[in-house]
Amino acid sequence: MFDSWRNKKSSSTVSSDMVSKQRRYDSLVRALHTDIYRYAYWLCGDKHVAEDITQETFLRAWRSLDSLKDEKAAKAWLITILRRENARRFERKQFNYSDVEQEFIEDTFSGSTEDHAEQHLLQRQISKLELEYREPLLLQVIGGFSGEEIAKILDLNRNTVMTRLFRARNQLKDVLEQPTIRGQSNG
Amino acid sequence: MDELKFRRQAYGEPNNQDPEFLQAAMESAEREAFLNDLKGLDNKIENALKIDVPDDLAAKLLLRQQLQHHHSQRRRTGFAFAMVASVAFLAGITFTLLRMGPVDLGQHALAHVYHEDKALHVDQNVQYQDVNFQLASLNSSSNMKFTQQPGKVFYSTYCDFQGVQSLHLVMQGESGKVTLFIVPLEDRMVLDEAFADNKYKGMGFETDNAYMLLVGEGAEDLNYVKNEIKQTFI
Repeated sequence: MFDSWRNKKSSSTVSSDMVSKQRRYDSLVRALHTDIYRYAYWLCGDKHVAEDITQETFLRAWRSLDSLKDEKAAKAWLITILRRENARRFERKQFNYSDVEQEFIEDTFSGSTEDHAEQHLLQRQISKLELEYREPLLLQVIGGFSGEEIAKILDLNRNTVMTRLFRARNQLKDVLEQPTIRGQSNG
Repeated sequence: MDELKFRRQAYGEPNNQDPEFLQAAMESAEREAFLNDLKGLDNKIENALKIDVPDDLAAKLLLRQQLQHHHSQRRRTGFAFAMVASVAFLAGITFTLLRMGPVDLGQHALAHVYHEDKALHVDQNVQYQDVNFQLASLNSSSNMKFTQQPGKVFYSTYCDFQGVQSLHLVMQGESGKVTLFIVPLEDRMVLDEAFADNKYKGMGFETDNAYMLLVGEGAEDLNYVKNEIKQTFI
């Protein structure tokens, strides 16, 4: 009660604080929502769930925006919130989206059919990657983080991260280099 | 940098800008081709990861936050309102309870006389019927009245004895004026038979329906008026 009374006394500074907080949040949303949404999508493999997680992530970010001191760290900060939010989803429902076979990937790309097919194959393979290999790759390619930064976000040591990145790329490369053989063996 | 380390680094981070790594990549045409191959793969991965983002996602995120913010502000003002309301409620209760406390009629009567000093300086020559009319409208179930004029009445008005509506009269005593308070009976009143300060003397007695409080400068005046009242008031 005394707090709110004090707040009222300095209401002008409070409201100007609110305006600047709002501005920070606006620019944060505009600058990073694409990356955050894509990261969420590749983490969970579902468009709608990805949107939900993104919503929750940004809402939490708003609530604790004051704790973000350095704007350069914003992306890593948001991704940390997002990962926690994603983990929370598994606590809530005992239903693992990643275990569902990712047969369904939206066709959202134009271009030649050959490119298209290759990309489609790559997307399927990325979603099939083990999460422990997929996540460092997402952080590196979508997030643009260095090995060190990835290690920090995932709470691993750098060598482990580099090994996982190596394996992730290796697996994807193999698939792309022998798609026909694979197709034949399947057929 | 040996081949194995180079390959591991190339796989791990093909776009590594570390000078040592770049130097190692230049060492042979094979290495360069190998690295370019991986960079090509990385471009493909990057494009593959670029799934479409819903057009209105940014707008939705901002809207959701605005709503949330609005709600929390509403909650905060609601809380403040509840606090103010309960404080007001508490103040009301306290005030009512305080008024319920025992009332010392004597001290109150003296204070009243001092407070309404002008009452002793007016002469309205009030008839006892008018006084009866005022008595009848006091907040009391019983019928108090004067049967006849109790000497001269200079002044008559309602007054408040700690929340009890009473009558304030100024009457002619033997030599000076006497103030009479008629207070309907109530449990929490404490009546002194006699009270005084250095200017006025007072006496109190109880009739069937009311406390009578007399305040005047001399004891003779008080007794005189007391007798008048005993004869005329029922």
